[in-house]
Formats: sequence, C-alpha cells, structure tokens
Amino acid sequence: MTHVSIKELTKVYPGASEPSLDRLSLEIPTGELTALLGPSGCGKTTTMKMIAGLLDPTSGDVTFDGRSILKDKPENRGVVMVFQNYLLFPYMSVADNIGFGLKMRKMDPAEIKRRVGEMLELVKLPDLGKRKPSALSGGQQQRVALARALIVQPNVLLLDEPLSNLDAHLRFEMRDLIRSLQQEMGITTIFVTHDQEEAVVLADRVALILDGCMKQYDNAEAFYKRPVDEATARFFGGQNFMSGTTRGTVFEASFGQLQLVEGLNQGSGVLTFRPENVLLNGDPSAPNTLEANIADKIYLGTQTRLKLRIGQENVDIITNPSDVEGLSPGDLIRVTLPPQTLWMLTS
Amino acid sequence: MSDRLKITLLLLPAMLIIVLLFFGGLAIGLMRSFNYMPVIGLTEPDLSAYFLVFTDREFYLSFLLTFHIAFTSTVISSILAIGAALLLRRNFVGRSIVNFLFQLNLTVPHLVGAIGMLYLFSQSGSFARLAAEWNLIAKPSQFPALVFDPYAIGIILQYIWKEIPFIGVIVLANMQSIGEDYESVARSLGASRWQTFRHVLLPLIFPGVLSASVMVFAFTFGAYEIPALLGANYPAALPVLAYRKYTDVDLAARPEAMAMAIIIAILSAVMIYIYIRYSRRRIRG
Repeated sequence: MTHVSIKELTKVYPGASEPSLDRLSLEIPTGELTALLGPSGCGKTTTMKMIAGLLDPTSGDVTFDGRSILKDKPENRGVVMVFQNYLLFPYMSVADNIGFGLKMRKMDPAEIKRRVGEMLELVKLPDLGKRKPSALSGGQQQRVALARALIVQPNVLLLDEPLSNLDAHLRFEMRDLIRSLQQEMGITTIFVTHDQEEAVVLADRVALILDGCMKQYDNAEAFYKRPVDEATARFFGGQNFMSGTTRGTVFEASFGQLQLVEGLNQGSGVLTFRPENVLLNGDPSAPNTLEANIADKIYLGTQTRLKLRIGQENVDIITNPSDVEGLSPGDLIRVTLPPQTLWMLTS
Repeated sequence: MSDRLKITLLLLPAMLIIVLLFFGGLAIGLMRSFNYMPVIGLTEPDLSAYFLVFTDREFYLSFLLTFHIAFTSTVISSILAIGAALLLRRNFVGRSIVNFLFQLNLTVPHLVGAIGMLYLFSQSGSFARLAAEWNLIAKPSQFPALVFDPYAIGIILQYIWKEIPFIGVIVLANMQSIGEDYESVARSLGASRWQTFRHVLLPLIFPGVLSASVMVFAFTFGAYEIPALLGANYPAALPVLAYRKYTDVDLAARPEAMAMAIIIAILSAVMIYIYIRYSRRRIRG
C-alpha cells in the first residue's frame, strides 16, 4: 500500500541540450494502476528507471507515502520493474527465475519452492517450472516475468509496455490477468506504453507525456471527451478541429452556429468532437443537424471513414459500413453533432 | 550444386591442413612414442618409452610445475580480466585511451615480453638495481628470485601480463552484447551489487570466460618458449623437458620425448574437460 508522488522530476542526460523529462509531477494513489503514455523517446522509460533507482534524476523528487526514496538503493525501494522484453535469466529454469528475488533475500529453499509453486498457479503455468525460458512462448515468458516480480510482494510495480509484444488474442487475456492480480494484491502499479489502446484498456488513470512534458492526467474517458489541447486529442485519434468563438452555449463556426452544453471554455478557441460521435441521417429537427458533402469514403473493414465538407470545414467521421452503403463521394448527407459530444479545448 | 556439397568443398582446404598436419603429426608422434622408428632399425613397437617416462621422478615434478603454471596463470588472469572488463565497460573520461593501453600488449610477442621480464625482474635486472640504489637491499643479488625461481613466478607474471588483455577483450565484448538490463532486473528484484554480479552477470558472461580461459590454459600448459627462457633448470616445465629429450644426442631418447608430448596432449584434454565440467556446475548451478 504505497502512495507514489512524483515532484518536478527532471532528467537531462550528460551532453544533451534538451531535458529528456521536464518537471514531471504526478500523484499516484495507493493501489491504482496508472499508465504513462507517450510516443517513443518522450521520457516514459526514463521516468520508470528513476523510480526504480536504475537512473539518477537531475532534479526533482520521488516520494513513497511522503518519504523521499531517491537516496535508497534500488534493491531497498520495494519497487520491481518488469521489462518489455521480459529479460528472464536464460540459464535458469522458470522456477528459479520466479524464485530469484526470494533467493536474494536468503529465504529458506523449501519456503521458496512453496511460494514459487503458488505463483506458477496464479499465473496459470503450473507445470512449466522445470522448463528453460527459451522453451516458452512470448505470452508465457511475460507471465513468468510478472510472477518473478510479484513474488517479492513489491510496494510499487513498474511495467514497461506490458502488452505490446503480445498477439491480439493474448492481449486481453494478459490485460485481465494483470488487472486481477494487481487488484487482488493492491499493488500501486505504473506502466509505460506508446499505445493509447493499451493505456485505455489497462489503466485506471492515464498520464499523457508529449515532448518530455505532461499534457493531461485523467481517467481514460476524459482523453476522448475532454482533451486539453489539439496534440492530446490527436494522440487519441481526434481529427476534427474548428476555430471559432463560444458565447454561453453557442459556438460561432465558419458555417453557422452550433449548440453546446453549459460550462465550456468561453471566447475564441478550438472546438473538437470525436469522429465516432457524429450521427448520420438522424432526426432533422435535432440540434446541430447539418448538410454535408462527402469528399471521400475509406472502407476499413469493420468500419468506414467518411471525409466530409461542411461549409469550408473538413470533418472526419467513422461509421458502420452498412450505414453508408451506396453512398459515394459527391453525395449530400445529413449529419448531427450532438451538443453533449462537442468540447472546447482548454488551452 | 547442393548445399551439402558446397559446404564440403568450402571446408575441404581447412580440413586438409588440420587432418594432414595435426593428425598426421600426431600419428607419427604416436608411432615413435611406441618405439617404432624403422630409420634407426626400431621395428618392434613397445611401451618402453612410456614406462621410462612414468618411472622418472622428474616427470612428475615437471607435471606439477606445469600444472601450477597453467592453472595459476589462467585463474589469476581470468579474474583480473573480468575486473578490468567491468571497469572498461563503464563510461568515463579517457576510456578510449585506457582501452587502447589495455589492449596494447596483445601485439607484443611472448618472447619479447619474456625478455622484458628478464631485464626488469631478474636479480641483475632493473628493479634489482633500483632497489639496491635506493638502499632497500644491500646488493642486487639479494633481490627476491622472480625469474628462474622454483615457483615459476616470472613465468606466471609473463603469462598474466600477456593473457589479461586477451581474456579481457573477449569478456568485454561479451558484456557489451549482453547489456545492463539483466542486471537492472536483478537489482530491482532485490539483489545487491555483489549478488547481481555473482548470480546474473557472471553466469551470463561465463561461456565467454570459459572459452577464453580454456584457450589460455591449453596454451600455457603446452607452451615451450616462456618456461625455457624464464624457468628454473630443475624441475623444468613438461614441454621443456620433452624438447630436451628430443634434442638429446642419443637418438634413443626420442621415443621418450614423443611419449611425453602425447601425454601432454592427453593431460591437457582431460584437464580442460574437468575444468569445463566443474566450473559450469559451480557458476550456473
């Protein structure tokens, strides 16, 4: 049970002109599963290594339950990191890999054996203890790496791209396993990923890091509904951005007025909405129902992307392929932008 | 052309040389060690040369000395080479210069190194003279016997000096290809620095250390020139003893020299086998 607090954490590598991580601050409540999300090279892994004690920060602080841990040696922090490529010790059996942390604590071999057996059950690999890691599939190696980390009962668990090396069908299985083990043991968990889908399906909360700075720290839904800026919205697949002015609950766009809900940013700014939230051929009397011209139609298998023109604005929508069957570029359609799906960027 | 044929053809030149020269030499040596030497009228093979070797006290003393030289040189240079590689893989100012100096003596022939040892460490050498000059000892001949000495210190020093960079370069390349992530994992799982080295890095670099040190062991066990230059007269290292018999004015001593050479070959093979088996169990078990 550990509350992790990261304060203005900064890392400048020797010889580098720009910081790899610039004053990152983050509060991670006890027992939560938090994602650090960002493109490669944005400072995510640097952050994890600093928490684990494998790298010294240039400035800033990391505290566990209010106590700074930066002076503690890596082996005394109660932090375990699971690397993306698992890094199972190749010359040890699966059981020896899992028991490694306990052996380093000089625990009684019989007790280690018992706990390793329990762990193998927990990660659903009960019969593979004697194998060498090279004889396991990627998904199995991942579980062994997880078991090796969890057996030492860390206060904080760090996962580096935990799902990215797995096939699609294994991802959900692993996601469920990680979530259930994490909830059961109540371990404060931080994982890094460049894949927004991985962040969304696994994390309670997501911290988006772009160019070494944290953009937004919120639950996953907020990144879709209430992104702070265009870069954040784009990272989550946002396509539609319109400049204009908001007064009260009315947005003045280039082609006319749009109805908004209350409480959005006022004045001139950028309006955004998700491509999947635009309705096709709905009730003509519903608010924000407009005529649009199809500029392009892209079939994506399970969905179809339409590029539309509304006045001078480009709008992208994603829809069910069957809803737009028979339509082709040049056709006119009726679209509705429901007011509750419209959002003014806050910065 | 089938792949099989291609591989055979490509391997053929190297194999011919190895088979003809190595096995050919071995076969002739073996025949002579069995007293089969038609040129001087010996046509009845027997084991008398081996009998002579195994009943000679000097042979056992020589064997012990040679084993001591090879084992001590291998172990000490392996340990020091691992230490050096651990330092050299870090980033520090001037690393490339240190690295260059470290590998410099790879290019110096053993013989040249041995002569350097003589100049520096013998009782009439530079260190002895300096020690006398600074009144640490009364006269140069009181300098401790590091060359031609019964413990073969001069020989071992020469081998260590020459083999550290050899093993070190192999181990360093090995460490760099492994990277530091395994050690990071171990640290985060609660291993101390020493435990990380002992249980993670050492087993990972072990195959590299093993093959390098086996080469050093085989070489130092069978090498002639350094013990011949820096060794005591009695007991002499096995290769020196074998060569003396071979160059004996009495041609009848040749089978004994050959028997000794065959024994050296078999002994090194056996000892290398034991060394591999034993150390693998110790390091990786």
